[in-house]
Amino acid sequence: MPDFSLTPEQESLRDAARKFARAEMAPKAAECDKTARFPEEIYRKAWELGLMNLNVPTEYGGSGLGALEQCLIVEELAYACGGMTTSIIANCLALEPILLGGTAEQKSRWLTPFCAEYHLASFCLTEPGGGSDAAGLQTRARKDGDGYVLSGEKCFITNGPHASLFTVFATLDPSLRSKGIAAFIVPGDAPGIVRGKDEDKMGHRASSTSTIRFEGVRIPSTQRLGSEQDGFSIAMRTLDQTRTPIGALATGIAQAALDHSARYSLERKSFGKAIAEHQAIQIKLANMAQAVHAARLLTWHAAWSIDHGHPSTLESSIAKCFASDAALRVADEAIQIFGGYGYMRDYPVEKLMRDAKLTQIYEGSNEIQRIVTARELLRQYG
Amino acid sequence: MEIVVLIKPIPEAESRLRATPDGRGPEPEGIKFVLAGYDESAVEQALLLKESLPGSSVHAVSFGPARCEETLRAAIALGADRATWVEGPPEGSDDPVLAARALAATLQTVPHDLVLGGKQAGDDEEGIVPGAIAELLGIPSFGYVTDLRSSGPSGLTFLRPTEAGVEQWEAPLPCVVGLQQAWNDPRSAKLPNILKSRKAPILKVDWPTTSTALALEAKPRSIGEKFELPAPRTGAKMIEFKTPEEAAEKLVRLLREEAKVFP
Amino acid sequence: MTPTVLVLAETSGGLLTGPTKEAIGVARTLAGSDGSVAAVTMGGPSALEALASFGLKEVWMADVPPEAATSGAVAALAAHAADESRAALVLLGGTTFGRDVTGRLAVRWGAAAATGVTEVAITGPEEVHVRRPVYGGRATESRRLVGPRTVIALRPHAFAEAAASAGTPTVHALDRSVIPVTEGAARRRSLAPAEPGSGPSLSDATIVVSGGRGMRAAENFHLIEELAQSLGAAVGASRAVTDAGWRPTSFQVGQTGRAVSPQLYIAVGISGAIQHVVGMVSSRTIVAINTDPSAPIFKVADYGLVGDALTILPALTREVRKVRGLPAN
Ligand SMILES: Cc1cc2nc3c(=O)[nH]c(=O)nc-3n(C[C@H](O)[C@H](O)[C@H](O)COP(=O)(O)OP(=O)(O)OC[C@H]3O[C@@H](n4cnc5c(N)ncnc54)[C@H](O)[C@@H]3O)c2cc1C
Ligand SMILES: Cc1cc2nc3c(=O)[nH]c(=O)nc-3n(C[C@H](O)[C@H](O)[C@H](O)COP(=O)(O)OP(=O)(O)OC[C@H]3O[C@@H](n4cnc5c(N)ncnc54)[C@H](O)[C@@H]3O)c2cc1C
Repeated sequence: MPDFSLTPEQESLRDAARKFARAEMAPKAAECDKTARFPEEIYRKAWELGLMNLNVPTEYGGSGLGALEQCLIVEELAYACGGMTTSIIANCLALEPILLGGTAEQKSRWLTPFCAEYHLASFCLTEPGGGSDAAGLQTRARKDGDGYVLSGEKCFITNGPHASLFTVFATLDPSLRSKGIAAFIVPGDAPGIVRGKDEDKMGHRASSTSTIRFEGVRIPSTQRLGSEQDGFSIAMRTLDQTRTPIGALATGIAQAALDHSARYSLERKSFGKAIAEHQAIQIKLANMAQAVHAARLLTWHAAWSIDHGHPSTLESSIAKCFASDAALRVADEAIQIFGGYGYMRDYPVEKLMRDAKLTQIYEGSNEIQRIVTARELLRQYG
Repeated sequence: MEIVVLIKPIPEAESRLRATPDGRGPEPEGIKFVLAGYDESAVEQALLLKESLPGSSVHAVSFGPARCEETLRAAIALGADRATWVEGPPEGSDDPVLAARALAATLQTVPHDLVLGGKQAGDDEEGIVPGAIAELLGIPSFGYVTDLRSSGPSGLTFLRPTEAGVEQWEAPLPCVVGLQQAWNDPRSAKLPNILKSRKAPILKVDWPTTSTALALEAKPRSIGEKFELPAPRTGAKMIEFKTPEEAAEKLVRLLREEAKVFP
Repeated sequence: MTPTVLVLAETSGGLLTGPTKEAIGVARTLAGSDGSVAAVTMGGPSALEALASFGLKEVWMADVPPEAATSGAVAALAAHAADESRAALVLLGGTTFGRDVTGRLAVRWGAAAATGVTEVAITGPEEVHVRRPVYGGRATESRRLVGPRTVIALRPHAFAEAAASAGTPTVHALDRSVIPVTEGAARRRSLAPAEPGSGPSLSDATIVVSGGRGMRAAENFHLIEELAQSLGAAVGASRAVTDAGWRPTSFQVGQTGRAVSPQLYIAVGISGAIQHVVGMVSSRTIVAINTDPSAPIFKVADYGLVGDALTILPALTREVRKVRGLPAN
């Protein structure tokens, strides 16, 4: 039988994240959502407590946590605010390529000073011409003496306006598709980087997202991760690692929607009784609880597979896809349970629905997750 | 300065309180116990003093059942250098004087210039332990303290808000100080320190050992008989009156004598 | 059994403090007709006159200046007086000072102890029962204190003050040599008298007075503030008030405002919409003042007054100031 109990370490990490989320993030979630404010003071504090570079080994100044620990923390943070969580964990996404593809020297050169202070990093894969079809990216890396010159545009880059470090995927030869892609470490102050305006988003409004244009940015070859052909594989392996925490992020949003709904259903009266006493509402709550539980367990299972070094592409795709679909469905039902109030911005549940939506789109859309799932599945038969 | 900070695990703020089946006390089963409230401020104060006086150390000490260990680890994660768990009586007496005796017996064996505690525990709110320990150790004690500062190697200054106003004191070391909550903003533990705290050694003082020191008075003299939660509200008691003055007079009397919430 | 109950008396400006008068009242009840009430004071001769007017038979007196009145010094003297008076019970007022002394006195005198007590009864030869709120008022516990000696600090304002009754006490001087030498080095350097008017914040306050649309106009809201000031309370408001701009949104209590759970919540001219109620229903005691007897707020309140807030509030403020001994204004 699998053992679902958490170790005391895991419990205390989760408690610490919960405390931070409820004390620091939750009180500002509505305000930041309304005004699309990027709450730097919260991110700075998250960094101080070690909630930011979760996946970076302690020898480089990160928190050195496994996938399951990351999931426990991310779920707690997202319970308070999905948008802030996206910005807090963007460093994990952006630094993972260095962890996977970097040499020991590159890691200590780039990760150690980065983690020692409050810094944000961005992962630059998506382009205006296409996100899902990553192999078709158009940002060019041209060889130039002992280095490369980058030119092209990336879009929807989380923390783009604030990042001091980028990991960038660019092609040496677009005709080679995935075989022509290389990955680069690009410092935020490199000449030729042009940051776009902060996008006005439906949800995750406490996070910031922009385009990043590379106008002839010179990069020495010491800042290339792996070989000139390794970029695509580094990107895909990165997403294999970071998809699972997105499942946890979605689970946190769903849990918040369920908690709000259950409490409200006990307070709100109609036809002379609490709406929780109407069976139609009970069935909704039961379905929501099922979705939340399943999302959490799938996420934990995928994290467990990663932590045990098992192949986990299938598990992480299933977890991310299921949890994000569940989050949207649960948030939708939460609004329904709140009735007209649910539709009002003064109440917390409509934000949950807007925040949940993104989890179906980023870090590989759910269509792509289903393609991956089917491919992995059919491989077992064919 | 050798700073000892006394901490007690208390139920998380949002816990649902229940009585034990025999109705005599609060049910610990299913409750999450944490380092919180007054004690959290006390740990913060200990760390601030330590940081202001190089060479100081902070020693967290807790008396009670096994759950003390988690609370002590929380103190270590925040920056305490050492931790001691003084095991509570197996039958779980909650007489605060008894707790003070066990703690004082332990303190006699460890260095202490300053013993810090919350002004009262967040659960029983007795506020008896700090003064009782001081009396047992034969050193001065001060409750309801804020803005505690070191004034050199052998003294302290602090403020004490009382009904009459804010008092300013100077006190010698060693002494016991009970702190008022929330004048400081307690820090949070960093994740790497939380992980390290899991592996930190915790010195355990067994109950029989403390009880020998307690031979004089091992029997609890304050015994919980009944633990009650307020009855669910059934609608307001309506106050009848003819004049506004009568309304005011009746309401104030009820708040004083019945509800007992008048300031 | 004729118990002697000893009260640790505190004076301020030559008068007994309210909590001390409350303790004397409780002591009289506990001592009954065959017991006696004695007092111990650090206030020196100036306290004597105040104590004489409360019909105490015996007073143990020391003259300890407030600058040197540490809990250790006071506990030593009080324990000495307790022995001399053959007291079975020592009562302290629920002040900072009283509660601070309790633990030390319990050890010094070898007594069982409890603080924050709202009910007390002598139930046997060596047995006292007390009740006291715990967990921030979320629960109440009853405790049995056993043994020949007991020390109890009362909860402030939980008991009625004793009425004055003339008498001439026998005075015993206490020997200050019982004070441990270690107490000598602590000194109170100064006392800054409490500032009136600086009220607590909404979330920290133990009392909150909130006004709603029933206050009729922004110009009337000062009535809420005056009541709050007399109680040392924070001011809250319903959304109707903040929406109308009578007060800023930071005052709003409720689902989209702040959730509060004070000891006492007074809702004035607030109908009791669910969105307001969820933010205050966990308060310990709730008072509602509303012209409409069927207003839903009365379902969650403990005490209800049906009437016009604009006339009740000034009378209530006057009464509170009177009872708390604050100057009328
Ligand atoms: C707020 C936000 C933050 C983001 N942060 C980052 C970041 O930090 N770094 C980064 O690199 N990217 C980031 N992204 C980009 C995100 O990963 C992409 O938006 C996502 O991968 C989808 O790409 P696209 O928007 O170009 O959609 P497209 O690829 O154009 O897809 C459009 C639709 O077609 C579907 N589709 C595409 N191909 C197929 C197919 N083969 N079969 C079936 N359906 C298909 C998609 O699922 C989608 O429904 C972010 C996006 C958002 C909105
Ligand atoms: C999305 C949404 C969010 C909301 N969030 C909140 C919230 O966080 N907090 C909140 O408070 N509300 C909130 N509300 C509003 C809530 O539904 C009520 O409208 C509001 O609480 C009413 O305020 P009230 O009780 O002051 O006013 P009313 O409901 O108008 O009640 C006024 C009361 O005063 C009484 N009265 C009139 N004259 C007098 C008098 N002279 N003396 C005594 N009593 C008198 C009346 O009998 C009546 O009961 C929200 C509403 C929505 C739709």
